[in-house]
Amino acid sequence: MFSITPTIEVKKPEKQYTGLSRRARIVRKLSLVVPLTVMVLMVIMAIFADLSWIGLPDVGLSPKAPNDGVARDKLLPPAFMEGGKSEYLLGTDRLGRDVLSRIIHGARVSLSVSLLVIAITAAIGTALGVIAGYMGGNTDGFIMRVVDVALSFPGLVLAMLLAVSIGPGYWTVVFALSILGWAGYARLVRGEALRLRDSDFVAQARVNGASSMRIMMKHIFPNVLNSLIVIMTLSVGMMILAESALSFLGIGITAPQASWGSMVSDGRTDLDRAWWISAFPGICIGLVVLSGNFLGDWIRDKLDPRLRQQ
Amino acid sequence: MTRFIIIRILQAFVAVLGIAVIVFFLIRAAGDPLDLIKNPNMTQEQFEAVKTRLGLDKSYAEQFWIYLTDLARGDLGDSILKEKPVSEMIAQSLPNTLKITVPAFVIAMILAFFLGIMAATRRDTFWDQGVKFIAVLGQALPGFWVAIMAILVFCVYWGVLPVPNPTKQSLAHYVLPVGTIIFFTLPGMMRLVRSSMLDVLDTEYIKLARIKGLPERMVIWKHALRNALITPLTTIGMLIPTLVLGAVITEQIFNWPGMGRMILESTFAKDFAVVQSITILTAILVLVVNLLVDISYAYVDPQIRYQRT
Repeated sequence: MFSITPTIEVKKPEKQYTGLSRRARIVRKLSLVVPLTVMVLMVIMAIFADLSWIGLPDVGLSPKAPNDGVARDKLLPPAFMEGGKSEYLLGTDRLGRDVLSRIIHGARVSLSVSLLVIAITAAIGTALGVIAGYMGGNTDGFIMRVVDVALSFPGLVLAMLLAVSIGPGYWTVVFALSILGWAGYARLVRGEALRLRDSDFVAQARVNGASSMRIMMKHIFPNVLNSLIVIMTLSVGMMILAESALSFLGIGITAPQASWGSMVSDGRTDLDRAWWISAFPGICIGLVVLSGNFLGDWIRDKLDPRLRQQ
Repeated sequence: MTRFIIIRILQAFVAVLGIAVIVFFLIRAAGDPLDLIKNPNMTQEQFEAVKTRLGLDKSYAEQFWIYLTDLARGDLGDSILKEKPVSEMIAQSLPNTLKITVPAFVIAMILAFFLGIMAATRRDTFWDQGVKFIAVLGQALPGFWVAIMAILVFCVYWGVLPVPNPTKQSLAHYVLPVGTIIFFTLPGMMRLVRSSMLDVLDTEYIKLARIKGLPERMVIWKHALRNALITPLTTIGMLIPTLVLGAVITEQIFNWPGMGRMILESTFAKDFAVVQSITILTAILVLVVNLLVDISYAYVDPQIRYQRT
C-alpha cells in the first residue's frame, strides 16, 4: 500500500522580513495621528461652534459672533503681526468680522454638507450598484450607461442650473452634489457585486430558494460594505473641496453665512493689504482635505487592501 | 463595428433628448421663469413684450415643442438679459476660453504623461516621491485658493508677473490662468498614468521582453507604453468636469471674459435661457467625448468590440 502524503513545500521568503525601520514606524504613526487629530478638531469645531442647537447661540467655541462686524476693527491683521489685536487671533475682514470665528462656523457648513451628500449618494449608488451587478443584462447596461454620463457631466453646470431655478443656498449645494455623486459609488459597488454574484455562497443561497431581493440585501450588501466605507471616507475631502468651490463662485453658501469657500472669495478685494482673509480659510480646506485623504488611505489599508492604488 | 457605432450614436441621441426634457421641466418646476424676469422697473407692457418674445405666453406643451424644434435646428434661443442670441454670446466668449484651456490641457497631458512614466520607472526614488507629493497636494489644495495665493505672491509681493489681462498679447499674461487650469487637471492624470504604467510593468509580457534582453528603453517606450496608455485614455471623458470647473474658476479669478464668466454671470442674473442652453450643450459635449472614447477604445481592444454591442 502506498500512502500518498502531500508534500507541502514551505518557501522561505527571500529576504527576511525585519519590520519597518524606526523612522518609518514613526512616520507611519504620525500619518494616522495627525490627520485623526485634525478631523476630530474639525468635528468639535463644527458641533460646538455655538450651542444654537440647544438654544444657546452665545455660548460656544467661536470667540465672536461670526456675522457681526465691528466697523472700527476692520481689516486688522492677525494677533501675531504688528498692529493686530489679541482678541482677533487671525485678524478681521473688511466688515470687521473675526476671521477665526468665521472659520469655526464654516467648519459646520463644510462638514455637514459633505456628510449629508455622502449619505445620500452612498445610499443611492449602493442600491443601484448592487442591482446592476447582481441583475446584469439590460438592467446593468442601462444603469452603467447613465453612470458613464453622470461621471463625465460637470456638476458645476448642474449647480448653476439649480442656482437659477431654485436659487443658491445650502440645499442647492447638497442637491447639486448628490445628483451626480452617486455614480462613483454605483460603479464601484457594481464591480464588487458582479464578482460576488458568481461566488459559492450566493449560489448556495439561490439553491436554498432565496429571492433576488434577499440575496442582494443579505448576501451581497454586507460584502460590499468594507469597500463602501473606504470610498465614503475618501470622498469626505472631495466633497469639502466641491462645496468650497461652489461657495467660492457664489452659487453655494451665500452671504452672510460663513463658509470657507466664500471667505476665500471675500478676501480677494483686499488681497493686497489683507492677505489673511483669503489665506487662512484656504489653509483650513487644504488641511482637512489632506487629513480626510490620509484617513481614507489608512482605513483602506485596514479594511480592504485590494483597493490600494500603487 | 459599424453596428456598435450606430447603436452608441442612437443611445447618445436619446440621452440628449432625455437631458433636454429634464432641463426644461426643472427650470419650470422650480417656479415660473416669468418671476425670474420680472423686475420692478419694468412696465406691464414691457413685461408682456418680453413674455411674448420669449414665447412664455404659450402653454407648456407648445413651449416644449418650440423648444425641442429650435434645439433640433441648432437654435439655442435668446438671452433674456442681453437680448441677443445665445449662440452669438458663445461665439464671442468661446475663443477666450479656448486660448487658456487648450494650452493648459495640452501642457497638463504632456506633463502628466512624462512625470507619470518617470515616477513608475523610477519607483520609490526621489523622483517618484516628488511626483507623489505633487499629486497629494494637488488633490487636497483648492485650486481657487492656490490661484489667489499665486496672484498674491507673483503679482503683489514679487511683482514678477502682470495681473492677467486677456487683451494683452504678451505671454506673461497667460502664465497664471494657464497655470491654474494645469493645477486642476495635472495631479489626477499623473497619478493614473503612474499606476497604469506600474500595472503594465508587472505583466508577463514585459518580463518576457526583459528576459529576452531588450534594452530597458525599448521595453518601456515600445512595449509598455501603448498598453499603459489605454486606461488613462478611457478616462479622458471624466476630465470634462475638472476642466469645466478649472475654466470657470480661472476666468472668475482673473476676470477673463470667456465662457465660464458668461455662464456664471448669467447664473447670477437668473438668465435661465443661457444657463439652459449651456447645460444642453455640455450634455452634448459629454456624450460626444464619451462616444469618441468608446470608439477609440473599441479600436484598441477587440474584446470590447464584440462584447458590448
